[in-house]
Amino acid sequence: MLGYIGRRALLAIFTVWAISVLAFVIIQLPPGDYVTSYIAQMASMGSVVTDEEAENLRIQYGLGQPIYVQYYKWVKLIVQGNFGMSMEWRRPVTEVIGERLWLTVVVSVSALFLTWVLALPIGIYSAVRQYSVGDYLATFIGFVGLAVPNFLLALVLLYLGFTLFNAHIGGLFSPDFQDAPWSPARAWDLATHLPIPALILGLAGTAQQIRIMRANLLDELRKPYVVTARSKGLSEARVILKYPVRVALNPFASTIGYTLPYIVSGSIIVSLVLGLPTVGPLLLKALIAQDMFLAGTIVLLLGVMTVIGTLISDVLLVWIDPRIRLEDT
Amino acid sequence: MTQLWRTPRRGTLRSRLTIALLVALLTALVAAGALAQGKSALIGKLEGPEVVADPTKFPKTFKEAPQLAEQVKAGKLPPVAERIGQDPLVIKPLHEVGRYGGTWRGGFTGPADFWNGFRCCSGPDHLMFWDYTGDKVMPNLARSLEMQDGGRTWLVHLRRGMKWSDGKPFTADDFVFWFEDVYRNKDLVPTPTAAMAINGKQGEIQKVDAQTVRFRFPEPYYMLPDVLAGSTDLAGQWGGYKGMGGFAPAHYLKQFHPKYVGQAELDRKVKEAKFDSWVRMFLFKNDWALNPELPVLSPWKTVTPINTPTWTLERNPYSVFVDTAGNQLPYIDRVVLTLAENLEVLNLRAIAGEYDFQQRHLDLGKLPVFIENQAKGGYKVYLDPGDYGGDMIIKFNLNYDADPEIAKWFNTADFRRALALGIDRDQINETFWLGTGTPSSVVPADSNKYNPGPQYRRMWATLDVRKANEMLDKIGLAKKDTEGYRLRSDGKGRLRIEIMTLGGQFVQFTQISEMIREQWKKIGIDLVVQEVERSLALKRTAANEQQLGAWNNDGSEHLFTFPLHVFPFELAAVASSGPLYVKWFHSAGTQGKEPEPRMRELMDKWKKAFGVPEKERIQLGKEIWKIAAEEVYIIGVIGMGPASMGVRVVKANLGNIPSRQYNSPDGKTPGISRPVTFYWKK
Repeated sequence: MLGYIGRRALLAIFTVWAISVLAFVIIQLPPGDYVTSYIAQMASMGSVVTDEEAENLRIQYGLGQPIYVQYYKWVKLIVQGNFGMSMEWRRPVTEVIGERLWLTVVVSVSALFLTWVLALPIGIYSAVRQYSVGDYLATFIGFVGLAVPNFLLALVLLYLGFTLFNAHIGGLFSPDFQDAPWSPARAWDLATHLPIPALILGLAGTAQQIRIMRANLLDELRKPYVVTARSKGLSEARVILKYPVRVALNPFASTIGYTLPYIVSGSIIVSLVLGLPTVGPLLLKALIAQDMFLAGTIVLLLGVMTVIGTLISDVLLVWIDPRIRLEDT
Repeated sequence: MTQLWRTPRRGTLRSRLTIALLVALLTALVAAGALAQGKSALIGKLEGPEVVADPTKFPKTFKEAPQLAEQVKAGKLPPVAERIGQDPLVIKPLHEVGRYGGTWRGGFTGPADFWNGFRCCSGPDHLMFWDYTGDKVMPNLARSLEMQDGGRTWLVHLRRGMKWSDGKPFTADDFVFWFEDVYRNKDLVPTPTAAMAINGKQGEIQKVDAQTVRFRFPEPYYMLPDVLAGSTDLAGQWGGYKGMGGFAPAHYLKQFHPKYVGQAELDRKVKEAKFDSWVRMFLFKNDWALNPELPVLSPWKTVTPINTPTWTLERNPYSVFVDTAGNQLPYIDRVVLTLAENLEVLNLRAIAGEYDFQQRHLDLGKLPVFIENQAKGGYKVYLDPGDYGGDMIIKFNLNYDADPEIAKWFNTADFRRALALGIDRDQINETFWLGTGTPSSVVPADSNKYNPGPQYRRMWATLDVRKANEMLDKIGLAKKDTEGYRLRSDGKGRLRIEIMTLGGQFVQFTQISEMIREQWKKIGIDLVVQEVERSLALKRTAANEQQLGAWNNDGSEHLFTFPLHVFPFELAAVASSGPLYVKWFHSAGTQGKEPEPRMRELMDKWKKAFGVPEKERIQLGKEIWKIAAEEVYIIGVIGMGPASMGVRVVKANLGNIPSRQYNSPDGKTPGISRPVTFYWKK
């Protein structure tokens, strides 16, 4: 087992390096650089960047250098634990991402939590009571949830919030708490702003998970070991929860690889619409502004999280499902 | 082959256009109802506060905000008269003397939106500035400006006893430090600015005495007052982030400059603060919006910087601005700008009444919704039409050379004029401006001092399909294909021209271009609309790959300080009338391509204007606009509308609000209305 994890970890490091090269190259692909997008941004706000100023900026940011020199400089910084300075925000990248990162985690984890809390019991119920009224109802709502794009839902809720409840538009804090130091009152303010984004983000995922849970469990319920368990005289709840549900959980474990990066970036569009101060909009802006260090660091972060997530799900699968055996044992 | 696949593609485009037009028409219908109360009710009389220049009318005693009075009492601040100095900058408020207190809430879109704060809250801190009409240059931070030696030497007289926001005196040394150690340092400013030069020759800044600064130029520089007043590199601390400004707080910045602390010591500081180089650190420290420690001269100063979710500014206790009753300005204590992740959220917040005064980023297309929610949001909507001739213009790239046929027509004046006559401006105005704009050529508003006369307003800017067709027939484009489009004269099929547009702007350039595409069918011109991403647009323009480009000409009402949309002046432009002309112009004819005679005449007049007295310059300005209107290098579509930052939402109980203000980048609108005089009524 240790050898297995070790080999995986080695491969992971190589993958991360490859991701860093890819991230850097992809960011460089679109035409222009930070300075051109800066000029364009100024132009659309009715001001002008002179050709001299543009030239000065390129020199200061080292943008005239060949791409491999820029990449080398970036990697050298990263190895020293410094992710560079965001060109647009003019602050260290770690600071810019840092303050948004944990808000992102709060939003996404609550969405994920909501998804699982809703999806697992409903999925089990729909499988056990297949073709009942409840199953049809859950299926119907589930499909509606899947079919409605979540940004549309966000827009509708935003509009309803404004017209019906006079709610504060967008964001995770009321204006009074925006910059306030942490206190129970501020935490409560955050908690009251959370349900809507969590619901919108979680809804599509919930529908999907209900279907997966239902389908898997239906497969398992008909297998002989369930009959055996029942004939042993175990209670119905114990029969279902102890054996088939455990097996049906496999897909949940194997998707953790995608769940981890999702926690950081899954909410881009919804965050944009709702104006949430999370990493998603930051990534989008950084890519549009061609803020290389910031965009590169976020892409790298996502890559690393996917790799770690995959590693975790590999290990988890072995643990949950006794049928999965390691090749070398 | 190309014909085969292009045909169906055009079909889908057409249906898309139909949908777009339907939506636009519906919006216009809804809007018509809301606008029934009248355009006149929304566009008021141009008005604003005035600077009192006569020292006999200055207040003799000064008053201050209560919280500052408390600090004086506690011994933390010197008395108010000492802080203001002997020569206050006296402003007569628009309506009445206000009262202290309160917060001004607004929205901004991120660290690139620094103009937001400069426009609202920097005073402005220019040495000279415009009066509220945007036409006349008045002393501002400078007490006066004195011309000597036929415009070669200018003396700036500073206000005696004026101080930086940390209480240190503001003197001629701050100018010399900026000039010698910032501007002339090749690391900080690798290429010098045109603002410090006349006819390509750089000037100098010298100290006469503590309160007097001398600007010296090798040739007469009559434009200097306008350059100090406009949004140029010599106009106050906003330029600090790029090493510009004309002055800088020497006593503070010396600690970050190698000349004063030594390279080794500086390198240590740079490393500690995690900057890439001392240059980046120095420019950061000199950034009005980013560095709360930076001593400033503006009435408000940054306390939480622009790269955080809330950009907050607070009153500067050493502000030199006072009202006619001797109250130190500003009246409003704090300005709080909150980050909106996108423009929709920002607009929705404005509609919900979460902003007290906002005009930046507000969308003209949402005007009916703004009006509908006035009572609920507790605000009033004002429109501030610009003074420039084009909220939308179309530039012909006269240097386009990838296709000689197209190049030939772009350089034929009657071709350009005919295309200009083929646009139905009234339809566009009603659909996209809700009727609030003015169909126009490129010339600025009638009230503008450079306006050449009323006959130029609609010159080649009317709808005349018959005449346009005649002109096109006559110049050699008479042959048409079966669909009625004109054929190229070189026998290579249909004459098809491309227009490059950008999405997500204040004006819906792409949608309007689609409408023009339909209109030009009547004159047999096949227009292809290409919306491109903004970096790509810049790259293609600079590489001479653009044919037609859609943009606006805001700023061109001050054509000498903002010439970009009058003739090809910058390479970095989203639409250009000729990138090779830019090179020719800036290299004094050694690179690029020599312009055609009338364009050259226009450029010569522009250059000449900097070195002649104002009266002559106004005459030259008029002649430049005459050439521009006659030659139609740029087609004017709709102008003098409120599309660009001209929709203003203001809380009903905010005082000294002008019913219409001069809207322009040079006027730093709303800076030209002196927000220091805004106040909260009870």
